[in-house]
This record gives sequence, C-alpha cells and structure tokens, in this order.
Amino acid sequence: MKHTKKNAIARQPGISTGHPAQLVIGLTVWCVWFVVVYGSQAVACKLAAPDPIVGAFNPINLMLGLITLLIALGLAWGAKTCWRSTGSSASATALNTRQAWFIARIAAGLYAVSAIATFIVLWPLLVLPPCV
Amino acid sequence: MTDTSEQAGLVRELNRVWANLPGWGSLSAVNHSTVGLRFMVTGMVFFLIGGMLAMLVRTQLALPEQNLISVELYNQAFTMHGTVMMFLFAIPVLEGLAMYLIPKLIGARDLVFPRISSLGYYCYLFGGIIIMSSLFLGVAPDSGWFMYTPLSSNTFSPGPGSDFWLLGITFVEVSAMAAGIELTVSILRTRAPGMTLSQMPIFCWYILAMALMIVFGFPPLILASILLELERAAGMPFFDVTAGGDPLLWQHLFWLFGHPEVYIIFLPAAGIVSTLIPVFSGRPLVGYRWVVLSIILTGFISFGLWVHHMFTVGIPQLAQAFFSVASMMVAVPTAIQVFVWLATLWMGKVVFRLPMLWIMGFLVIFVCGGLTGVMLALVPFNWQVHDTHFVVAHMHYVLVGGMFFPLMAGLYYWLPLVSGRMPSQRIGQWGFWLTFIGFNITFLLMHLTGLLGMPRRIYTYEAGLGWDWLNLLSSVGGFIMAAGVALVLLDLLMHYHFGRKASRNPWHADTLEWVLEQPPAPYNFVSLPRIQSRHPVWDNPELGERLQAGEGSLASIEHGRRETWGTDAVTGEPSEICQLPTNSWLPLLAAGTLALLCISLLLGWYLLALVCVVLAALPLFRWSWENGGHPTAAPLTQEPPGECLLESRTTDGPGRWGMIITLLADGTLYLSLLFGWFYLWTASPQWSAPDAGPLSIWGLALSGILLTLASLRFRQQARRLARRVDTGVLAGLWQATGLGVLHILSLIFVLWTAPLAITESAHDAVLFFMVLFLLFHSVLAVIITALQAWRTRLGYVSAHLPYEPQVVWPFWLYTTGIFWVSLALFALLPMAWGPSP
Amino acid sequence: MVICLLLSACRGPFSTLDPAGPSARDVAGLWWAMFGFATLVLMVVTALWVYAIRRPASHPDQQSAQVMQNRWVIWGGLALPLGSIALLLAFGIPVGHRMLPLPPETGAVLQIEVTGHQWWWAVYYPEQNIGLTDEVHIPVGTPVDVVLRSTDVIHSFWVPRLGGKMDMIPGRINVLRLQADEPGVYRGSCTEFCGIGHAHMQFTITAHSANDFLTWQQQVQEGAE
Repeated sequence: MKHTKKNAIARQPGISTGHPAQLVIGLTVWCVWFVVVYGSQAVACKLAAPDPIVGAFNPINLMLGLITLLIALGLAWGAKTCWRSTGSSASATALNTRQAWFIARIAAGLYAVSAIATFIVLWPLLVLPPCV
Repeated sequence: MTDTSEQAGLVRELNRVWANLPGWGSLSAVNHSTVGLRFMVTGMVFFLIGGMLAMLVRTQLALPEQNLISVELYNQAFTMHGTVMMFLFAIPVLEGLAMYLIPKLIGARDLVFPRISSLGYYCYLFGGIIIMSSLFLGVAPDSGWFMYTPLSSNTFSPGPGSDFWLLGITFVEVSAMAAGIELTVSILRTRAPGMTLSQMPIFCWYILAMALMIVFGFPPLILASILLELERAAGMPFFDVTAGGDPLLWQHLFWLFGHPEVYIIFLPAAGIVSTLIPVFSGRPLVGYRWVVLSIILTGFISFGLWVHHMFTVGIPQLAQAFFSVASMMVAVPTAIQVFVWLATLWMGKVVFRLPMLWIMGFLVIFVCGGLTGVMLALVPFNWQVHDTHFVVAHMHYVLVGGMFFPLMAGLYYWLPLVSGRMPSQRIGQWGFWLTFIGFNITFLLMHLTGLLGMPRRIYTYEAGLGWDWLNLLSSVGGFIMAAGVALVLLDLLMHYHFGRKASRNPWHADTLEWVLEQPPAPYNFVSLPRIQSRHPVWDNPELGERLQAGEGSLASIEHGRRETWGTDAVTGEPSEICQLPTNSWLPLLAAGTLALLCISLLLGWYLLALVCVVLAALPLFRWSWENGGHPTAAPLTQEPPGECLLESRTTDGPGRWGMIITLLADGTLYLSLLFGWFYLWTASPQWSAPDAGPLSIWGLALSGILLTLASLRFRQQARRLARRVDTGVLAGLWQATGLGVLHILSLIFVLWTAPLAITESAHDAVLFFMVLFLLFHSVLAVIITALQAWRTRLGYVSAHLPYEPQVVWPFWLYTTGIFWVSLALFALLPMAWGPSP
Repeated sequence: MVICLLLSACRGPFSTLDPAGPSARDVAGLWWAMFGFATLVLMVVTALWVYAIRRPASHPDQQSAQVMQNRWVIWGGLALPLGSIALLLAFGIPVGHRMLPLPPETGAVLQIEVTGHQWWWAVYYPEQNIGLTDEVHIPVGTPVDVVLRSTDVIHSFWVPRLGGKMDMIPGRINVLRLQADEPGVYRGSCTEFCGIGHAHMQFTITAHSANDFLTWQQQVQEGAE
C-alpha cells in the first residue's frame, strides 16, 4: 500500500492534476505573462526604442515573441498533462475520486485556452513595430 | 402523534431563534432573506431614478438645437444616470439576489457572516442617499461616470460634485466588498453536507466567480477614488501632470476596475440563464463542465481587457494589440455558454413560460452586443467609433441585454418563491414586448447615429447632420421601453394581490430553494439535507417534506443558537458547526457613523471627521468582541462530545477563510498602489524623484525588525493555542502588543522627520500614502492583538477556544509582508534604479 | 432602391461611412464586412434557438447526448469565435499598421500642431509659422501628421471622414496621421467629454489641391505681415 502511494507521488511531481489549484494556475500564468509582456514592452520602449522603419524585426519583438512562445508551450504542456491524467488507463491510479477527475478535466481545458490566448499574440508581434 | 408535536415544537423554537425583531427592531435584522430583499427593493428604487434621468437625457436629445434643460443639468443627468445604474442598481440588485438565493441553493440556513450582510446594506443605502442628495441640491457630479481627471479635479470641477461621487461611491463599494467576501466564503465553506464542487448548482459557480471578481476588481477603484479625493481635499498631486503625476493613471486604475465590473454584472445574469434553461427544458444542463470552464475563463480574461477603453490615448499599437486579442478572446467563453444553452434546449422538451420570453430577449440583444463588442476590440475600428453613440449603443446592448433581461427572467422565476403567488402571464407579455421593442428602437438605431459621427455626451446638436430622425426615433423608443418597464413593475406589484396561489415548486425545478415554504422561513431548512447529486429535487421529490419533518441534520435548537454546517471546500463533508450571530444593531450603528464621516468630509469638517472615525471604530470593535466564547455568542459549556465542534473550538473555520479573502482584496489594493508607483515612475511625463530617498532607510529597517518580532511573538501564541496549550499565551500576546506599539512609534517618527513635500511632488505624495497605508495596518494589528490579550484574560480565548488567534495570524503575516515589500520596492529599488529617467 | 436609400442615409458631414481619406476608407470597409458577418451570425444563432425551442424533444441516450453536446460546443463555442478572431486579426492588424504615423516611402509629411483648450482649437504650422483657430488647411493627397497637445483637460481630435480619433492629454504628445483624397471641407469635433462647452467644440479641415494650398499659404503669410 505504502509502496504504490510512493510511486504515484514519484510519477507526479508537484501538486496533483486533480487539485483545485489547477483551475487557476493556467490563467494566473496567463495573467502574469500578460503583465510582463505589457510592462516590459513599455519599459523597453522607454530605454531603447528601435527605429520604426525597422518594422517588426527588432530585439524587442524578438524577446517578447520568445517569452510568448515559451509560455504558450508551457501552458500547452499543462493541458496535455491534465488531459492525460483523466484518460481511461490513468484514472484508476492517479485520480481515484470523481472530484479530482472533474477538476483535472476542466483544468485541461483551461490550460488549453490559456495556451491559445497566449499563442495568438505572436501574430501582432510579427507585424507591428513595438513603440509607435 | 408525539412526532408531529415534537416537530411543531422544533419549528416554533426555530422561528423564535431566527425571527427578526418586531417593528422598528427589524432594522437590526441580519438574516440573508431580509437583507437580500432589501437590497433588491432599494436597487429597484434607484433603477427608477436612473431611468428617469435617462428619460430626461432622451427628451433633450429628441430634437436638434433644443434647450429644454441647461447644459449643466444635462451633464449632471448623464453622469448620474451612468453612476446610478452601475453602482446603485446593477451591482447591488445582483448582490441582493445572490444573498437571497445562495444559502437556499447550497442548503444552508444563512450566509456565513450575517452582520456583514447588514452592514453592507446600510453602507449601500446611506451611500446611495448621499449621492442622490447631490442631485437634489443641484451640485451633482458632472464629469461623466468615469470621472476622468483633470476634468474631475479641483481646478476644473471646483464644486462639491466630484467629492459626492468619490466619497459616496467608495462608501457604496464597502457593501460590494462585503458581499464579495461573504459570498465567496459561504459558497466554499457552508454547503450542505455531501455537496461536492461538481454537485453545486451552476448558479453557485457563477456567483463564486462574481464574488471573487469583486474581491480582485473593486480595490483598484477604491484606491483611485481615495487618491483623487486626497488630491482634491489635501492637494496631493497624484494625477497632476505638472507635479509629476499623470491623468492616465486614473484611467488605468478606473478601467482596471471598470472592465471586470462589466463581467461582475454579466456573470450572475448568465447564471440565471443557466439555471432557468434546464428547468424549462426539463433536463439537466448540457455540458456542466464546459460552463464551469467558461465561468473561470471569463473571470480571468476580463482582467486583461482594461486598455480597450483607452485605445485612443496614444499607447503603442503593439501594446494595444495584446489587449485587442484578449478582448476578442473573451468572446470564447461567452460563445461556449450560448451553444451550451442551445444544446440544452435542443435536447430537452421546452415549456415556454414567461421567464423564457425574457431569456429569448436576452439572447438576441446580448449576442448582438457581443458581436459589436468584438468589432470594438479591433483597434482601427475602435479609433473611429470610440466615444461616439456607437459605443453607447454597444454598452446598453451588453448591459441591458446581459443584465436587465436575465434579471427580469429571474425575478419572474423566483417570484412564486418570495410571494407564494404567480405573476400574470398576459400583462407580463405586454411588458416584455414593449420593453424589447422599445429597447431595440432606441439602441439599434444608435449604432448608426454613432457611425454618422455623433459624439457621446453632447447636450445638443445642429440640424441637418443626418442625426435628427435617428435621435427622434431613439427617444420615442426610449419612452416605449419606459412604458414596458412600468408595466412590468405594475405586474410585480399587482400580483401580490391578484396573483393566483402558486403550488410548491411551480416550475418543477431541480434545486433546493424549491423545497422550502413559500415564502421561506428565516432559517430556510428545518433540518439540513445530505446531497448526493446535482439535482436533489428531481431525484427526490419528497425531500421537502422529509427535511420539514426533521429527518435531516442539525435538527435541534435547545441550545438557542443560529447554526449551520461548516464543510470542506471540495468534498462538502462537515468539518464544524458555525454559530451565526443573531439580530444586531451594531451594523446600523457602524454604517451610520461611517455616513456621518462621509458627510463631514464632504463639508470639509475634518475635526468632526476624526471624531467620526473613532465613533465608527467603537461599534466595529464591539462587533468583534461579541464572538466565539463571549456570552452572547457561544459561551464555553459542558457540551456533549459530538462529531463536529463549534467553529470557535476549531482552528480553521470559515472565519479564517473570511480573513484570508479579505487580505486578498487588501493585497489587490496594495498591488494597485505598487502599479501606480511603477506606472508614474516609468510613464509619467514630468516625473521627478530626488536623488536620495526622503525616508530614512535605517529608521524603516529598525521599525520593520520590531514589527517582525511582534508578529513572530504572535505566531508563537497562535501555535501554542492550536496545540491546545494556553500557558504563557496571555503574556505573549501582551508582548506582541508592546513590540507592535514600538514599531508604530518608530514608523511615525520616520514619517515625521522625513522632508516630504506632499503637495508639490507626486513622488512624495505616493511615498506618504504608502507609509500611511502601512501604519493603518500596523495600528489595526496592534489593537486587535490587545483585544485578543484582553479576551484571553477573560477566558474567551483559551486552550478550548483557540480559534481567534488563528484568524488574526494571517493579518500579522500580511502586515509584516507588505512592510518589507514596501521597504524593498518603494525605498531601496529606486535607489538602485537611480533618479528619474 | 434600398441600396440608394441606405447610401444616402450614410452621407453626412460627420459620417464615417462616407470616407474621404485612406484611413477612413479602410475602416469603413472593415465595418461593412464585420456588419455583414455579424448580422449573419446573429440571425443563424437566433434561428437555431427558435428551432431548438420548437422542435420535439429527442431524449437522446447518455452517449449520443455527450456527442451532440461536444459537437455544439466545439463548433459553435470554440471554432466559430476563434475562427472569427483569426479572420478579424488577419485583416485588422495590417489596417492598423497602415494608420500608424510611420515615415512614408515617398514624399514628405506635413506637420501641423493642434492644441486643445476649453473649448477651442489652436492650430499651428511650425514650418510655415502660421497660427489659426478652429480651422485646419491641408493639401490633398499628402499625408499629414497632426501633433496633438492639451493645456487643460483631456480632449479628443476627430475628423470622421478622414480617419480615426486621438486624445489630447495634458503633458503628453500624440501624433495622428490623416490624409484627404479630395478637395473639400471636412468637419471635426471633440469626442472626449471636456466640460460645458464640449458640444460646441468643433473645427473644420479644408483640403486644397497642391496649388491652391500654396496659394492659401502665401495669402495667409502675406495677411500676417
């Protein structure tokens, strides 16, 4: 008994996918990303605004694009992990209560939508100059 | 035979314990049904006043170049129309509805902090009356309901109008915060045994999201209002560009509140729709999990949209694009809900009754408003139609469609519960169609008026610009809508006399409120149910009789206390019994003195204001005194050892959750202040900061160490009590108090000796405000701790009553935390950063 | 006939639907496209609801209910809004890009400084040293950068037939790019509420052909001397 419990913990580092916190983690990451991107864009423009002639290919857009891509991938990974834990094979061991299953299912969707909401921002980053 | 007489005795005793005092005594009522209904009725009165202001505006605009009312009155009318509808109608009515329904839906006897309900109501009522009085005195605010500075500042609005708005609205917001905190904790911690998160009625998810959004959404506006009032009254130039402030800071803070606010209004209304559609379709809501997902998504994304109200202030277009994308993304959860509702109707057998008519009206109007919303989120289009009648039309489509129509559906639906009678089908239909048609005539055309270039908030316009016939028709539509609303109200009033008696559960609904008597008893349930599914009434139609017969839990009243279950936030398993306070005059006293404070500030009588602060503190501290082991609450007796302890005998009850949620709100206010600091530092055009910070770093550090020692000492006592040991606690609490006093004195000394020019520099003004904010928390922590020490002496806090210090400890932690964060970010970081860029 | 009526209804001195410059034209185009699409969506959704209410109950079993639910939500709740957003951004962001005051590929940009006061507009041509009140003169077919300032409260500068609006904020400088294609008089107004004179805070922009503009410039300068 003790052995299996230990195994389950080893397979899933951090909080379980059925923990209520999963319902807010994805979108909180989205919020923080949002603030960071908006804030760092403002500060970067204050410190070193590139010539608007250069267009969208400049260090600021590149940096923001990289952050955005990383966050989007991270959120997508969260969605995948939560979704997998609700699959038929995993549910027997990892998520043994209906509550946890219910939460993990919703969390998967929330991670996925936050990933999309992050990912879409790459498009303006490809087109618009940062400081005008 | 004995069974029935026993049961009758139980009901009689329950009625005695739970009843409001008779006559004027009912002003001391704290019961959620009473307070919820008061909220709704008061909100309806304000709605009528706001509606009349709208009629005034529409009359003036009906024909070009009219001078029916003066421009001054017109400006007051549209400002007050917006203010009243937003702050005095929409939010309070929905809060009232939630307060009335939530305990009934989750199978509880009352909300978890009943005195807070009452305080909230009185703050709302008095604040509303204060704001309204400005209209009758002819000095109403006149710079628009979002009060942009510098127009609302002393220089350009020298009269008291802006002060009425700032003080009155802040006062009213106390009630919103109170409701937000109380509803959050009630939903999370007092559900009926067995009601897991996934078995909550869907309405509770909506209200939970709304309540949490209030907790995070209102503090920015409260902060902004305080700052602007300080600028007006004390000359601290937070928004004055010549002294290093920035008028755009006001816009950021206002819309940081203002956009979530739209969804704070929309979510409960959507909750009504999600509750009614399954009932009238005769089948469970399709896609419960999808809906929960949409609710959470809306709650978060709505905080990332605020700049879409500011697309024309000159922010780089790339930054606007982030907000543009987020604004469009919020259409996703809304679309999910629209299609979930569609699927539910599709698969069910629909009975088309009066509430469904209003829901159809909601659908058409709200989807239309949502579509124009997506258009407005597109920056280039926004640049054309921003601040025109197109936006006015969009906003009314979203708010009237998204709030008023579902609210009407909800009122008609829950009317039999409140009155025991059914409304008239015929008058109701007339009322609906007049409202619906009138609304569309008014506002559909207004889109075109805006596209033809008519700016909002102009009191007159010249003839021949293509706006004449549109405005005339809009005004006619407005009056048709008013007639519709009047008919609906007539129907609501008349049905109390002429409505036919409603049967128990007339709509064949699935949720717990329909097992109650109509109208419900003040304690709701004679005994509390155990929940095993999402649709307790459909699964078990006799549930009502069985609960009435005392077959549920907590069916005893010999102790004479108001009681309900405290349960686990996820599983809903009982963890303690909450003893709820009975009727109390303290909320009325506290709100009354706060109203006096508000009035004395308006008159500029600052000495009286100071007296009022003390006067208001007295009932509040008395309130905190009558808790836990106090003789009027739940004194320590030889209780039989049951499975569940009373809350005051545990270490983690709903009260502690209330403290933590309150601190989340407080923390949001603090974060807004930090945002303001960084914003001014990086974006204010004429920001200037001295080379060396004016506050003594060493003084602050010493003060912080004293604070840390005080809070560690406090924590030690809280831990001892949690281990059920009370030796040394009394001395420890007094020591914490003493250390706290030293900390306060040193902080005051630092502030006193600092060369702050608070009326000349926005930098110094923010620093000054920050230290005051810290001082306020420290003083509060010390007073509470002294009271705890005193209570320990009297035996209200002991090894058997270890609860209160556990509630207070997060407050100490928070106070210490913000002190060190402030030291790092307000004093040290700017030094590393160097003087202003 | 209906189209004629509609078009005449769209005319007017402040009408965004009667564009006379590239920015306003782009936005008017966006509007008509969005209007058509939104009307379609509204009608389809409403029709589906009405049908769903009227159709006889189907009582599907658990399995098929689940399938039907997911189909509605995924197509209507996810694909529809996400697709629309993608479409909207694909067209909208380039339009926004074209409205930015970037240096043009050919030719120069005329700079005009406009400062908002309660409740009038001070217009100044820095290169020509011309000052005017409540009227702006521009050459046709040339991009104009209007430099916006305010001395008291927030105002907003808007010429609906030429392009979008931009706020005038104390302490800040905003730049709005405008261009007129045809000679004529275009009207503008303040769109940010600025006190009791807000409704009457208007101005005109007169667009001249290149030659007429030079003549006007000379006349004004001579008149000043």
